[in-house]
Amino acid sequence: MYYLLSLIAGSLLAFMVSSNGIIGEAAGNYASSVIIHLIGLVGVVVVLIITKAKFKNLRQFPLWMYSAGLIGIITVLFNNLTYTTLGVSLTVALGLLGQSVTSIVIDHFGLFGLPISRFDTKKILGFVIILIGIVIMALPA
Amino acid sequence: MYILLAILAGVSIVLSRIVNYVLADKIGLFQGTFFNYLLGFLGSFVLLLISGDTIQLFSLSSYQGTWWAYTGGLVGVGVIALSSHLSSKISAFYLTLLLFVGQLFGGMVLDYIVSGDFSLQKIIGGLLVVVGLSYNLWIDSKGKHTKKDSTHIVKEGVSSI
Repeated sequence: MYYLLSLIAGSLLAFMVSSNGIIGEAAGNYASSVIIHLIGLVGVVVVLIITKAKFKNLRQFPLWMYSAGLIGIITVLFNNLTYTTLGVSLTVALGLLGQSVTSIVIDHFGLFGLPISRFDTKKILGFVIILIGIVIMALPA
Repeated sequence: MYILLAILAGVSIVLSRIVNYVLADKIGLFQGTFFNYLLGFLGSFVLLLISGDTIQLFSLSSYQGTWWAYTGGLVGVGVIALSSHLSSKISAFYLTLLLFVGQLFGGMVLDYIVSGDFSLQKIIGGLLVVVGLSYNLWIDSKGKHTKKDSTHIVKEGVSSI
Protein backbone atom coordinates (compact mmCIF):
# COMPACT_ATOMS: atom_id res chain seq x y z
CA MET A 1 0.00 0.00 0.00
CA TYR A 2 2.72 2.46 1.01
CA TYR A 3 4.84 1.30 -1.92
CA LEU A 4 1.97 2.20 -4.21
CA LEU A 5 1.61 5.60 -2.51
CA SER A 6 5.33 6.24 -3.07
CA LEU A 7 4.98 5.47 -6.77
CA ILE A 8 2.01 7.85 -6.90
CA ALA A 9 4.00 10.59 -5.12
CA GLY A 10 6.78 10.11 -7.68
CA SER A 11 4.41 10.39 -10.62
CA LEU A 12 2.91 13.51 -9.00
CA LEU A 13 6.40 15.04 -9.23
CA ALA A 14 6.43 14.29 -12.96
CA PHE A 15 2.93 15.78 -13.17
CA MET A 16 4.26 18.99 -11.61
CA VAL A 17 7.08 19.25 -14.16
CA SER A 18 4.60 18.71 -16.97
CA SER A 19 1.86 21.03 -15.70
CA ASN A 20 4.33 23.81 -14.87
CA GLY A 21 5.71 23.44 -18.38
CA ILE A 22 2.23 23.86 -19.87
CA ILE A 23 1.61 27.04 -17.85
CA GLY A 24 5.05 28.21 -18.98
CA GLU A 25 3.98 27.83 -22.60
CA ALA A 26 0.72 29.72 -22.01
CA ALA A 27 1.98 32.54 -19.77
CA GLY A 28 5.69 32.78 -20.49
CA ASN A 29 8.40 31.68 -18.08
CA TYR A 30 8.19 34.61 -15.66
CA ALA A 31 4.43 35.07 -15.31
CA SER A 32 3.98 31.30 -15.03
CA SER A 33 6.38 31.14 -12.08
CA VAL A 34 4.30 33.81 -10.30
CA ILE A 35 1.06 31.91 -11.04
CA ILE A 36 2.46 28.54 -9.92
CA HIS A 37 3.85 29.93 -6.65
CA LEU A 38 0.69 31.92 -5.92
CA ILE A 39 -1.51 28.81 -6.33
CA GLY A 40 0.84 26.82 -4.07
CA LEU A 41 0.84 29.66 -1.53
CA VAL A 42 -2.96 29.70 -1.39
CA GLY A 43 -2.92 25.90 -1.00
CA VAL A 44 -0.48 25.91 1.92
CA VAL A 45 -2.29 28.79 3.66
CA VAL A 46 -5.49 26.72 3.54
CA VAL A 47 -3.60 23.77 5.05
CA LEU A 48 -2.13 26.03 7.78
CA ILE A 49 -5.59 27.31 8.67
CA ILE A 50 -7.12 23.81 8.75
CA THR A 51 -4.30 22.41 10.90
CA LYS A 52 -4.30 25.58 13.08
CA ALA A 53 -0.50 25.71 12.75
CA LYS A 54 1.42 28.39 14.68
CA PHE A 55 4.57 30.33 13.81
CA LYS A 56 7.14 30.65 16.59
CA ASN A 57 10.58 32.26 17.05
CA LEU A 58 11.01 33.04 13.37
CA ARG A 59 13.65 35.75 13.93
CA GLN A 60 16.23 33.55 15.62
CA PHE A 61 17.10 31.71 12.37
CA PRO A 62 19.55 33.01 9.75
CA LEU A 63 18.02 34.44 6.58
CA TRP A 64 19.47 31.78 4.26
CA MET A 65 17.21 29.22 5.89
CA TYR A 66 14.28 31.03 4.28
CA SER A 67 15.83 31.04 0.81
CA ALA A 68 14.48 27.68 -0.42
CA GLY A 69 11.64 29.39 -2.30
CA LEU A 70 14.12 31.56 -4.18
CA ILE A 71 16.15 28.51 -5.19
CA GLY A 72 12.87 26.87 -6.24
CA ILE A 73 12.35 29.64 -8.80
CA ILE A 74 15.49 28.44 -10.57
CA THR A 75 14.00 24.93 -10.65
CA VAL A 76 10.74 26.12 -12.20
CA LEU A 77 12.44 28.43 -14.72
CA PHE A 78 14.99 25.85 -15.89
CA ASN A 79 12.39 23.07 -16.01
CA ASN A 80 10.06 25.22 -18.11
CA LEU A 81 12.87 26.15 -20.50
CA THR A 82 13.92 22.52 -21.02
CA TYR A 83 10.48 20.89 -20.93
CA THR A 84 9.47 22.32 -24.31
CA THR A 85 12.61 21.14 -26.10
CA LEU A 86 13.47 17.90 -24.28
CA GLY A 87 10.07 16.53 -23.18
CA VAL A 88 9.03 15.47 -19.66
CA SER A 89 10.89 12.17 -19.27
CA LEU A 90 14.29 13.43 -20.42
CA THR A 91 13.93 16.60 -18.30
CA VAL A 92 13.16 14.36 -15.32
CA ALA A 93 16.05 11.97 -16.07
CA LEU A 94 18.63 14.75 -16.39
CA GLY A 95 17.22 16.36 -13.24
CA LEU A 96 17.76 13.07 -11.41
CA LEU A 97 21.40 13.07 -12.54
CA GLY A 98 21.86 16.61 -11.20
CA GLN A 99 20.14 15.63 -7.94
CA SER A 100 22.35 12.58 -7.45
CA VAL A 101 25.61 14.43 -8.06
CA THR A 102 24.60 17.35 -5.80
CA SER A 103 23.57 14.96 -3.01
CA ILE A 104 26.93 13.19 -3.25
CA VAL A 105 28.91 16.47 -3.09
CA ILE A 106 26.92 17.72 -0.09
CA ASP A 107 27.25 14.39 1.73
CA HIS A 108 30.93 14.03 0.90
CA PHE A 109 31.88 17.45 2.29
CA GLY A 110 29.17 17.65 4.96
CA LEU A 111 27.82 20.97 3.63
CA PHE A 112 24.95 22.83 5.36
CA GLY A 113 26.10 21.47 8.70
CA LEU A 114 25.14 17.92 7.74
CA PRO A 115 27.20 14.90 8.77
CA ILE A 116 30.04 13.94 6.42
CA SER A 117 29.47 10.76 4.45
CA ARG A 118 32.30 9.96 2.05
CA PHE A 119 31.54 8.94 -1.54
CA ASP A 120 31.75 5.19 -2.09
CA THR A 121 33.73 4.59 -5.31
CA LYS A 122 31.69 1.41 -5.91
CA LYS A 123 28.85 3.76 -6.87
CA ILE A 124 30.72 4.90 -10.00
CA LEU A 125 29.41 1.77 -11.75
CA GLY A 126 25.84 2.82 -10.93
CA PHE A 127 26.42 6.30 -12.31
CA VAL A 128 27.88 4.92 -15.54
CA ILE A 129 24.70 2.82 -15.99
CA ILE A 130 22.52 5.89 -15.23
CA LEU A 131 24.50 7.99 -17.70
CA ILE A 132 24.13 5.36 -20.47
CA GLY A 133 20.39 5.29 -19.79
CA ILE A 134 20.14 9.08 -20.10
CA VAL A 135 22.21 9.12 -23.30
CA ILE A 136 19.88 6.46 -24.81
CA MET A 137 16.86 8.60 -23.82
CA ALA A 138 18.49 11.72 -25.30
CA LEU A 139 19.48 10.15 -28.64
CA PRO A 140 17.26 11.21 -31.55
CA ALA A 141 14.80 8.45 -32.46
CA MET B 1 22.69 23.93 -23.49
CA TYR B 2 19.21 22.68 -22.57
CA ILE B 3 20.76 19.49 -21.23
CA LEU B 4 22.91 21.59 -18.87
CA LEU B 5 19.86 23.59 -17.74
CA ALA B 6 17.95 20.37 -17.00
CA ILE B 7 20.87 19.10 -14.87
CA LEU B 8 21.09 22.45 -13.04
CA ALA B 9 17.36 22.23 -12.36
CA GLY B 10 18.14 18.96 -10.57
CA VAL B 11 20.94 20.63 -8.61
CA SER B 12 18.56 23.40 -7.52
CA ILE B 13 15.97 20.81 -6.43
CA VAL B 14 18.40 19.27 -3.94
CA LEU B 15 19.64 22.64 -2.63
CA SER B 16 16.07 23.89 -2.21
CA ARG B 17 15.02 20.61 -0.56
CA ILE B 18 17.88 20.76 1.96
CA VAL B 19 17.22 24.38 2.89
CA ASN B 20 13.51 23.55 3.19
CA TYR B 21 14.34 20.57 5.37
CA VAL B 22 16.57 22.66 7.65
CA LEU B 23 13.83 25.28 8.10
CA ALA B 24 10.97 22.76 8.48
CA ASP B 25 13.02 21.02 11.15
CA LYS B 26 13.05 24.31 13.12
CA ILE B 27 9.57 25.76 12.58
CA GLY B 28 7.38 22.89 11.31
CA LEU B 29 6.67 21.23 7.97
CA PHE B 30 3.81 23.35 6.63
CA GLN B 31 5.21 26.54 8.17
CA GLY B 32 8.42 25.89 6.23
CA THR B 33 6.42 25.16 3.08
CA PHE B 34 4.61 28.47 3.60
CA PHE B 35 7.89 30.42 3.50
CA ASN B 36 9.00 28.37 0.51
CA TYR B 37 5.97 29.49 -1.50
CA LEU B 38 5.91 33.04 -0.08
CA LEU B 39 9.55 33.72 -1.06
CA GLY B 40 9.06 31.89 -4.35
CA PHE B 41 6.05 34.08 -5.12
CA LEU B 42 7.74 37.36 -4.16
CA GLY B 43 10.99 36.46 -5.93
CA SER B 44 9.34 35.44 -9.19
CA PHE B 45 7.16 38.58 -9.02
CA VAL B 46 10.29 40.74 -8.87
CA LEU B 47 11.74 38.74 -11.79
CA LEU B 48 8.53 39.28 -13.74
CA LEU B 49 8.71 43.06 -13.17
CA ILE B 50 12.33 43.13 -14.33
CA SER B 51 11.61 40.97 -17.39
CA GLY B 52 9.02 43.45 -18.67
CA ASP B 53 6.47 40.65 -19.21
CA THR B 54 4.25 41.88 -16.36
CA ILE B 55 1.27 42.27 -18.69
CA GLN B 56 1.24 38.47 -19.18
CA LEU B 57 0.11 38.01 -15.59
CA PHE B 58 -3.13 39.81 -16.43
CA SER B 59 -3.51 38.51 -19.96
CA LEU B 60 -6.33 36.03 -20.54
CA SER B 61 -4.16 33.85 -22.75
CA SER B 62 -1.98 33.06 -19.72
CA TYR B 63 -4.90 31.15 -18.25
CA GLN B 64 -5.88 29.24 -21.36
CA GLY B 65 -3.59 26.26 -20.84
CA THR B 66 -5.24 22.92 -20.04
CA TRP B 67 -7.15 23.49 -16.77
CA TRP B 68 -5.43 20.70 -14.85
CA ALA B 69 -2.01 22.26 -15.42
CA TYR B 70 -3.01 25.00 -12.95
CA THR B 71 -3.32 22.43 -10.15
CA GLY B 72 0.45 21.77 -10.27
CA GLY B 73 1.11 24.27 -7.46
CA LEU B 74 -1.46 22.57 -5.23
CA VAL B 75 -0.05 19.14 -6.08
CA GLY B 76 3.34 20.41 -4.84
CA VAL B 77 1.91 21.01 -1.37
CA GLY B 78 0.39 17.52 -1.46
CA VAL B 79 3.66 15.89 -2.52
CA ILE B 80 5.46 17.36 0.50
CA ALA B 81 2.78 16.13 2.90
CA LEU B 82 2.62 12.70 1.25
CA SER B 83 6.38 12.07 1.21
CA SER B 84 6.76 13.16 4.83
CA HIS B 85 3.94 10.78 5.80
CA LEU B 86 5.57 7.96 3.84
CA SER B 87 8.98 8.63 5.41
CA SER B 88 7.59 7.40 8.71
CA LYS B 89 6.04 4.29 7.11
CA ILE B 90 8.66 2.74 4.85
CA SER B 91 12.45 2.83 4.69
CA ALA B 92 14.18 5.76 2.96
CA PHE B 93 15.81 3.24 0.63
CA TYR B 94 12.54 2.01 -0.86
CA LEU B 95 10.86 5.41 -0.71
CA THR B 96 13.65 6.96 -2.80
CA LEU B 97 13.65 4.17 -5.33
CA LEU B 98 9.87 4.18 -5.72
CA LEU B 99 9.69 7.99 -5.97
CA PHE B 100 12.31 7.91 -8.74
CA VAL B 101 10.59 5.07 -10.60
CA GLY B 102 7.21 6.78 -10.24
CA GLN B 103 8.62 10.06 -11.47
CA LEU B 104 10.44 8.61 -14.45
CA PHE B 105 7.61 6.42 -15.73
CA GLY B 106 4.95 8.95 -14.73
CA GLY B 107 6.87 11.33 -17.00
CA MET B 108 6.66 8.84 -19.87
CA VAL B 109 2.93 8.32 -19.41
CA LEU B 110 2.43 12.10 -19.37
CA ASP B 111 4.57 12.54 -22.49
CA TYR B 112 2.28 10.02 -24.17
CA ILE B 113 -0.93 11.73 -22.98
CA VAL B 114 0.25 15.27 -23.78
CA SER B 115 2.03 14.73 -27.07
CA GLY B 116 1.37 11.12 -28.10
CA ASP B 117 5.11 10.64 -27.78
CA PHE B 118 5.91 7.04 -26.88
CA SER B 119 9.22 5.36 -27.58
CA LEU B 120 10.81 2.04 -26.72
CA GLN B 121 14.11 3.92 -26.60
CA LYS B 122 12.96 6.02 -23.63
CA ILE B 123 11.69 2.95 -21.79
CA ILE B 124 15.02 1.15 -22.22
CA GLY B 125 16.95 4.28 -21.16
CA GLY B 126 14.58 4.74 -18.22
CA LEU B 127 15.07 1.13 -17.11
CA LEU B 128 18.86 1.61 -17.17
CA VAL B 129 18.47 4.74 -14.99
CA VAL B 130 16.43 2.65 -12.53
CA VAL B 131 18.99 -0.18 -12.57
CA GLY B 132 21.88 2.25 -11.88
CA LEU B 133 19.97 4.00 -9.11
CA SER B 134 18.92 0.71 -7.51
CA TYR B 135 22.51 -0.48 -7.51
CA ASN B 136 23.77 2.73 -5.84
CA LEU B 137 20.94 2.77 -3.30
CA TRP B 138 21.72 -0.87 -2.53
CA ILE B 139 25.37 0.04 -1.83
CA ASP B 140 24.15 2.92 0.38
CA SER B 141 21.85 0.66 2.37
CA LYS B 142 24.59 -1.95 2.77
CA GLY B 143 26.88 0.75 4.20
CA LYS B 144 24.15 1.83 6.59
CA HIS B 145 23.48 -1.64 7.91
CA THR B 146 27.14 -2.48 8.52
CA LYS B 147 28.00 0.81 10.25
CA LYS B 148 24.69 1.37 12.03
CA ASP B 149 25.41 4.92 13.15
CA SER B 150 22.79 7.61 13.30
CA THR B 151 24.57 9.94 10.87
CA HIS B 152 23.56 7.72 7.98
CA ILE B 153 19.89 8.05 8.85
CA VAL B 154 20.19 11.85 8.69
CA LYS B 155 22.18 11.55 5.47
CA GLU B 156 19.55 9.39 3.84
CA GLY B 157 16.83 11.75 4.92
CA VAL B 158 18.47 14.54 3.02
CA SER B 159 19.89 12.98 -0.11
CA SER B 160 17.05 10.57 -0.68
CA ILE B 161 13.60 12.06 -0.11
